[in-house]
Amino acid sequence: MQLRYVFTELGQGLRRNVSMHIAVVLTLFVSLTLVGLGLLLNQQADKAADQWGSQLQITVWLCKDDDDNPRCTSEVTEPQKDAIAEAIEENPEAASHYFETKEEAFEKIKELLGPERFEGPNPAATVDDMPQSVWITLEDPNEFEGVTSAVQGLPGVSSIRDAREVLQPIYGSITALKYGAWGTAAFLVLAALMLVANTIRLAALARRREIGIMRLVGASTLYIALPFLLEAIVTAVVGVALAAGALGAFMWFGIHERAATGLTFMPWIGLPEYTSTIAAIAVLGPVLTLLPTLLLTRKYLKV
Amino acid sequence: MIRFEKVTKTYPGTGSPALDQVSVDVEKGEFVFLVGASGSGKSTALRLMLREARPSSGRVYVAGKEINRLAGWKVPRLRRQIGTVFQDFRLLPNKSVAENVAFALQVIGRSRADIRTVVPETLELVGLEGKADRMPDELSGGEQQRVAIARAFVNRPMILIADEPTGNLDPSTSVGIMKLLDRINRTGTTVVMATHDHGIVDQMRKRVIELEDGRVVRDQARGAYGFQH
Repeated sequence: MQLRYVFTELGQGLRRNVSMHIAVVLTLFVSLTLVGLGLLLNQQADKAADQWGSQLQITVWLCKDDDDNPRCTSEVTEPQKDAIAEAIEENPEAASHYFETKEEAFEKIKELLGPERFEGPNPAATVDDMPQSVWITLEDPNEFEGVTSAVQGLPGVSSIRDAREVLQPIYGSITALKYGAWGTAAFLVLAALMLVANTIRLAALARRREIGIMRLVGASTLYIALPFLLEAIVTAVVGVALAAGALGAFMWFGIHERAATGLTFMPWIGLPEYTSTIAAIAVLGPVLTLLPTLLLTRKYLKV
Repeated sequence: MIRFEKVTKTYPGTGSPALDQVSVDVEKGEFVFLVGASGSGKSTALRLMLREARPSSGRVYVAGKEINRLAGWKVPRLRRQIGTVFQDFRLLPNKSVAENVAFALQVIGRSRADIRTVVPETLELVGLEGKADRMPDELSGGEQQRVAIARAFVNRPMILIADEPTGNLDPSTSVGIMKLLDRINRTGTTVVMATHDHGIVDQMRKRVIELEDGRVVRDQARGAYGFQH
């Protein structure tokens, strides 16, 4: 087979239908980007769930002097702490618990916000401003109502924070974004398939005289279809490359530079997830263009 | 070389068959005219030979192969042994004479060196030497048909099928084309030519197969177009 002829045909085909090819590439680019975004968000949600699933703890803040909660009349007393510990131990949902002192809380906040703000003559907070707390680890992260209600309202308890309440909205928005991306991608994938089909129809029409002669003189089906298949691959490669670039930009500017540095309490997706996503769209892209091409070349170029 | 055994071809949605129990045998090296009115089944017979259509019943053998049993991917190989010429020439308007002829070899994967020697030879054979670089629209009808014949013959096929090759040409030009087909026939190539042209058939005195409503009504060695003439 003469490669020169095939590449000449490929170049002519791409030029002849340049607006259609651009339409295919753009549609493919956007749909693959959205599919990739959905995949990345999915992995982000999994990653966060993995990390938190084992660590989900309920934090019980205990009363301190000058507490925001009016029921707290003074710093929590030792007998009150004993009663709270007893209530937690009796509850089957709690696996273990741990009392955190004011000093530990102070160390934690210093680490989180930077020690320099808590030193010198005018610190943002002192050890005495910190509340004591109890950290309860659950047997099953999904069963927490029992232990929450057991502790709720006991004397010396100021408030209860369930990590889930903080995380649920984040989870929720990741899931919503994911399905939004996939839903939009589904429509665009459909549009891409139809655009490819139309492109081939037009190209086959434009070349019907040549194709007729090729068939007559005994050119093989592969030889006749090859320029079409190569066109499909070229548009797919360009679409995948653009989508990979867009997803790379999302990973760099959205995750790496913003989320991963600003929201450090959460594990963020990185290069491995990006790589697997690119691999997925690198398969999907050519499939999206080759599938209609193979079907339609069988129809229009039948020998 | 070509054999029809009780071949019937019915197109879907039509009542009477296009070919009805046709049995014909064409030997290697023969020159056969296929005559008959429009709709008599000539084109269908040619389409069956090229395996552009398959018989509804009966068997068609071309170049030793039963074409209704031939696998789809082997069809291109069959067609490389058959040259085809049409009334409307079917040249590529954006390619020169030589390129049009070379195209037939390119698409079946012949080497460039081969093409460079075979194409000029074939152009000379059909009487187009010196016109290799002309474009089809610069040529007369007769010359365009010569290009088409060169393209059909450049791969040295065993069979040449011509569907009304003189249908668009004036009588004197037609004579030239017929002489050319005769010369190709003398190289051993079997020629099957469908035509309406009484003058040519009468003049050539070759075998004539006449079709009427899909049936063979006459098969005569050294025949004329019709009894009435």
